[in-house]
Amino acid sequence: MMLFYFERLVEILPFFLKGLWMTVVVAGISLLLGTFFGLLLGIARTSGNKLLVGLIGAYVAVIRGTPFVVQIFIVFFILPEWGIQLDALPAAILALTILGTAFICEIVAGGIKAVPKGQWEAAQSSGLTLYQQLRYVIVPQSLQTILPPLVGQYVLLIKDSSVVSVIGVVELTRVGWLTVVRIPEGLMVFSLVGILYFAISYPLIRLSNRLEKKMATQQMML
Amino acid sequence: MIKFKGVNKWFGKLHVLRDINLHVTPGEVVVVCGPSGSGKSTLIRCINRLEKFQKGELFVDGTPLHDHSTNLTKLRAEIGFLFQQFHLYPHMTALQNVTLAPINVRKMKRSDAEELGREKLIRVGLADKADSYPTQLSGGQQQRVAIARGLAMAPKIMLFDEPTSALDPEMIGEVLDVMIKLASEGMTMCVVTHEMGFARQVAHRVIFMDEGSLVETGSPHDFFDNPQTDRAAQFISKILTH
Amino acid sequence: MLEGLNFRVLWEYMPFFMEGLRNTFLISIVSLFLALIVGIIACACRLSPWKLVRGLSIVYIESIRSTPLLVQIYFFYFGLPTLGLRVPELQTGIIALMLNSGAYIAEIVRAGITSVPNGQIEAGISSGLNYFQRMRFIILPQALGVTVPPLLGQAIVLVKDSALLSMISVMELTRCGQTLTSERFMPTEAFFTVAFFYLCIYFVLKSMADWSQKKLIFREAY
Ligand SMILES: Nc1ncnc2c1ncn2[C@@H]1O[C@H](COP(=O)(O)OP(=O)(O)OP(=O)(O)O)[C@@H](O)[C@H]1O
Ligand SMILES: [Mg+2]
Repeated sequence: MMLFYFERLVEILPFFLKGLWMTVVVAGISLLLGTFFGLLLGIARTSGNKLLVGLIGAYVAVIRGTPFVVQIFIVFFILPEWGIQLDALPAAILALTILGTAFICEIVAGGIKAVPKGQWEAAQSSGLTLYQQLRYVIVPQSLQTILPPLVGQYVLLIKDSSVVSVIGVVELTRVGWLTVVRIPEGLMVFSLVGILYFAISYPLIRLSNRLEKKMATQQMML
Repeated sequence: MIKFKGVNKWFGKLHVLRDINLHVTPGEVVVVCGPSGSGKSTLIRCINRLEKFQKGELFVDGTPLHDHSTNLTKLRAEIGFLFQQFHLYPHMTALQNVTLAPINVRKMKRSDAEELGREKLIRVGLADKADSYPTQLSGGQQQRVAIARGLAMAPKIMLFDEPTSALDPEMIGEVLDVMIKLASEGMTMCVVTHEMGFARQVAHRVIFMDEGSLVETGSPHDFFDNPQTDRAAQFISKILTH
Repeated sequence: MLEGLNFRVLWEYMPFFMEGLRNTFLISIVSLFLALIVGIIACACRLSPWKLVRGLSIVYIESIRSTPLLVQIYFFYFGLPTLGLRVPELQTGIIALMLNSGAYIAEIVRAGITSVPNGQIEAGISSGLNYFQRMRFIILPQALGVTVPPLLGQAIVLVKDSALLSMISVMELTRCGQTLTSERFMPTEAFFTVAFFYLCIYFVLKSMADWSQKKLIFREAY
């Protein structure tokens, strides 16, 4: 019997690969957007403007303090009540971007704060504009501290993207859920789903660890 | 007091101690110097068995260290060890650092141990720092607390592994002063250091190591002014111009 | 926007939410406790001298860390019955949460133990402290310092993760929101209330984590 289901599973493997592709698309787009907005907000968060810092802090706390399922329900069910009609896919990308931005903004702010004050002063003294100070002096240095946790955050976002299955986006987890109804071999179906997630997250986890080690040795040489 | 007889040690394939023979008598102050990587740390770490060695015999205060039945914990309590990086316990105050071993190894009453600890802190000139945490102390002060921590066990031997080389120049003096006082009181000491002034003032003997061997040994006067080997002469001229 | 909220219905459902809140609490505490046990065992295995034991613990830790929790929950929810095991939803969910958090806790504990510098141990050896005294007075107090803040962080994650049990119909806080939505179609009231409760839990745990970060971490001073 198991063998029979296994063969069925192999037959519908393309369906799983399509789901994997959808996961990559949803996670990839929100990860790019999240990095962009996270970088902006992260820099703004170190600006010293009290109102701005407070607002960003509140936004980060609300996102960190609530489960992502709840956030996605809010985006999907409540925005329409205010007249913003979103399909499942854009809603999923919006929710994931909001989530990613909050976490990445914290990582970026932490990295920038880790750059010694003297570097700012040196850059200012040589007459660079604020943008130039950030672009040529501060951000390149904080990249070292930012990169390993950033890659780690990407892994978390990819995993969190499984939650968008609850609003009906047919990504990898949803494919597993739809399949298990027809092929009642839960262990087999979700092992396959797990393996496919593993295939994209594990290399990133390794990359993050490598970056971290590399950074540690670079610091020792200083 | 300390007797090396043909001691050899390897780190994997690396031969770090080659046929060491050395006899340190009670009350003697021996300074060990030599280029980086020559095995100085390894040598004195063998004396309280922080490092094992593979061949030869080593007696400390009559106790054979090459013998596996030796009670190391008991022996170590008799030997004070000072690290280059101090290694004070960061979660304890200066006084707690000093009293930890007396209370737990010597089984002293807390009140007695604290009295003893304060006495040792006075001796290193830190009476007022008893309740400070290591992060609140300067490097020199931390190293002096570490010395007090060693002294609190009333050791028969004190070992120092480059006790001043992690310190800013202006703090080296205060640590050396304490060590000079100790030497004048008759403590048996082995000191890995490149502080020539200290060596000239208090050492009874200077030992020069290179590539794991004892190359030369002699009085500070002979060693610094009239080295016998080329390698020693080279080394001395290097640290003098330093 | 808030004036539109229907407080009468919210009030009517309040006892229901309270029960959900209580269940979220209980699920989180029980899972955290079990995960601590699993995590400590996995960490001991991870540091064990036997290759096989070490290998198994690495497989466990890495496969958990590189797959989404929701997939793990479905794996047990749909998988256990195919093994002929009839486990109620609540217990299935707790098993998934326990194994998931256990893997992260194993890594937290390992980082704590390996963070104590070797010199600290040597200093203890040199003053004649025996193995247990070194553990008790030197290693554990310092390891605990670096372990407690991330453990509280994991507790925050666990509370949020427990929201996913709503997907297998466990009656916890998020499920209450879904119920209110489907019975009265009031998603705004429902999910803002749910989010509010999660935020309360978050702020309590977060301030504990911040406090412990300040109080418990000891760094060697040079
Ligand atoms: N734990 C170890 N494992 C392998 N090799 C080691 C270890 N400790 C030291 N060594 C090697 O043994 C040799 C002697 O080291 P040791 O630390 O005794 O030198 P040293 O004379 O104290 O040098 P320094 O002045 O730099 O402190 C070096 O080549 C070193 O690389
Ligand atoms: Mg050395």
